[in-house]
Amino acid sequence: MSDVLGGFAVVLQPENLLYCLIGVVIGMLIGVLPGLGPAATIAVLLPLTFGLEPVTAIIMLAGIFYGAQYGGTITSVLLKLPGEASSVVTVFDGHALARQGRAGTALGIAAIGSFIGGTASIVALSVVAPFVAGFALGFGPPEYTMLALLGILLVATISQGGRVKALVAAVVGLLLATVGRDGFTGAERFTFENLALADGIDFVPVAMGLFGLGEILHSLEERHRALREPAPIADVWPSRADLRQAGGAIGRGSVLGFALGVLPGGGAVLSSMAAYALEKRRSKHPERFGNGAIEGVAAPETANNAAATSSFIPLLSLGIPANATMAVIFGALLIQGVAPGPQLVTEEPELFWGVVNSMYVGNVLLLIMSIPLVGLFVRILRVRPAVLAPITVLITLIGAYTVNNSVFDIGLVIAFGALGYLMRKAGFDPGPLVLAFVLGSLLESSLRRSLLIFDGDPTGFLTRPISGTLLVFLLFVALLPALQRLRPRRTRPENATAGTR
Amino acid sequence: MTSRLRALTATVLALALTGCGGNLGDDGAADGADFPDRALTLLVGQDAGGSTDLIARALADQVKNDLGRPVTVQNRPGANGAVAAKELAAAKPDGHTMIVFPGTLAYITPLAVTPAEAVDITGYDVVTGISQDDFVLVANPGTGFRTVTDIDRAITYGTTGVGTGSQLTQALLFAQAGIKATAVPFDGGAPTLTAVLGGQVDVASVQLGEAQAQIKAGKVTPIVTFAQKRPSYLPDTPTAVEAGYTVPVQQSRAIAVPKGTPPQIVDRLRTAFQKAFAGQAYRDFNTQRLLTPNEVDGPTLLGQWTGSLQTYRALVDQYDINLAGTA
Repeated sequence: MSDVLGGFAVVLQPENLLYCLIGVVIGMLIGVLPGLGPAATIAVLLPLTFGLEPVTAIIMLAGIFYGAQYGGTITSVLLKLPGEASSVVTVFDGHALARQGRAGTALGIAAIGSFIGGTASIVALSVVAPFVAGFALGFGPPEYTMLALLGILLVATISQGGRVKALVAAVVGLLLATVGRDGFTGAERFTFENLALADGIDFVPVAMGLFGLGEILHSLEERHRALREPAPIADVWPSRADLRQAGGAIGRGSVLGFALGVLPGGGAVLSSMAAYALEKRRSKHPERFGNGAIEGVAAPETANNAAATSSFIPLLSLGIPANATMAVIFGALLIQGVAPGPQLVTEEPELFWGVVNSMYVGNVLLLIMSIPLVGLFVRILRVRPAVLAPITVLITLIGAYTVNNSVFDIGLVIAFGALGYLMRKAGFDPGPLVLAFVLGSLLESSLRRSLLIFDGDPTGFLTRPISGTLLVFLLFVALLPALQRLRPRRTRPENATAGTR
Repeated sequence: MTSRLRALTATVLALALTGCGGNLGDDGAADGADFPDRALTLLVGQDAGGSTDLIARALADQVKNDLGRPVTVQNRPGANGAVAAKELAAAKPDGHTMIVFPGTLAYITPLAVTPAEAVDITGYDVVTGISQDDFVLVANPGTGFRTVTDIDRAITYGTTGVGTGSQLTQALLFAQAGIKATAVPFDGGAPTLTAVLGGQVDVASVQLGEAQAQIKAGKVTPIVTFAQKRPSYLPDTPTAVEAGYTVPVQQSRAIAVPKGTPPQIVDRLRTAFQKAFAGQAYRDFNTQRLLTPNEVDGPTLLGQWTGSLQTYRALVDQYDINLAGTA
């Protein structure tokens, strides 16, 4: 306990408070810029930390990471440009709200949800870090196979419009995920001897093209037909009714985000999708989702912030970086002469608790900054489309370039932009394609690794407690619609009245 | 678009050179007397934050002082570094564009991919070697394995990817020891180590710096290192050669420039890097990351790497190992 309090003493030193502020401000800014992610930013800023105390350096770098989660929401909501995979589902309802003139509500609820999710996750981290870390190690390739399958099943739940069209889009997404050098045999797949495709297609050009550029092209056409007034800006801050509506989603998002964020690899993405799907399934009016449901913003934004915080657990208590950003922070710690590992908490309590407790301060700072900024950012929507559209296109293309410093990726954004436009014209929702694409490589590599471990025997999935449980749950979710259809039609009239209300 | 930009840059440069070059000798620009005349680029074929990237940034920080020009690190990740190597090959051979060349790309990847995709180090001019990274074979303590001879059953082993040192070290070791072993490729060092910690695979070969903390905490057991001599960090763990196996595999890194760079410019760069190597900050960096300096000149390094490629090719043939066909 004294170690925990000692951590607060570390955080409250003026220098550490200053670097915490610098970190979250940088994080928020790069979150707003689509493409430029926290991992690359932290790597570039590493030399600046050489002269700092280890705890100060890590407080700043951590601030960049969770600050970026706050900022990433802004472009998703306002411009339909998800900068990170974990913000994809925010696009659905966030942008719908913005078009209804409720962008401020969406951003406000996202900020509040992020704050609560982040803070709840820190509390949980302080209490259960050592126990949870051991549990996360039980998640190997077989468990990830099941999680990825579950995610793909959720794609169908998330999508709007026809089931068949969603399925077609998802299959295209899965196929796109197979492009690149086979990680198991080194064989080239659909690369056409182009080295730029050897590592497969990056997520960013796909999402930014299909959502961002596709949306711009589509809305330009709309405007030619009938001049549409820019959306009026009604509420800048969520009302009490909004907060009440989003409360449950924030609570569940916190728990889900914390739990999935601990898993090494892909935790934040899965958590935001799972939180969204959970809310839609629980809702009495699932048809509201995709058309501006406030829970549809609150749940994923809460979950991805909770996951961002809990992804520190494997790093700080096992010495295992859970994602690319954690890997860079791992490198930063090594440069500082601190080897993150199972003994960090006992050997460097000031560092451990200093960094953990700095996140409370950082989250408060982010919430305070968000309040005035929401009003400022929302004004972007007042800019005339003739001005806003070219600027957005420019930001999109620059953002795509910065991920790999690759001109090829710019071409990809344009190609996917055209595809996104055509899909919308034909009534296809690009959402399932992007989500299936994100999950596709996780599914393939985990499945193949599992089969190698099981020596080719698929019944191996049932012999492991966690993967077996997940498999049963998966079958339950998959068969649920069929089971419901078998039940007497008592629920039908209820739904009908709900729809007409 | 790039080619047009590049042409434009070249024209501007040529104009600048002729403009101020009146008082220089005929070969003033070619002999490198005024090198470097603008900012330099150091390409890295891996993601920001990895070992290779950190080495590049540590060096760039020092080298710029001696050269008197900024040195920018640019990440061009892709295909285990082949994307960046290809870009360097197309750059102007004037010493302003360099790369941190990972040795495994030159002497292990060619064993796993088709000849057309392989990168040939002799197609570049090497400025200097940098350092070597050792691999260590670690086991989950639950397996009870402490030495290679303890491994008395069929096992699964994690690798950091196809065509990596992690894969080659283990494929060679298990073939020589007659152990039936199935390779499970992961995507980099951290996920591979996680799989050992979680018991999803029995053993894995990773770079020493990556496993340092877990070994110290007793979460994984070191079995052998693939170093040339016992690393000071693990004095009680035998090397593979000491244990009786011919597995001389290291990760090695070097600075390279496009083929045809004037020798004077290569020498000027080498001087700058040697000053950087001598700095205390850089030496501390090596110690912390458990890197062994290998600051040899270009021809020596080329000899090391082409020798390694021949050795590995012979060993792979001898034990009938197919690096690409493990799955």
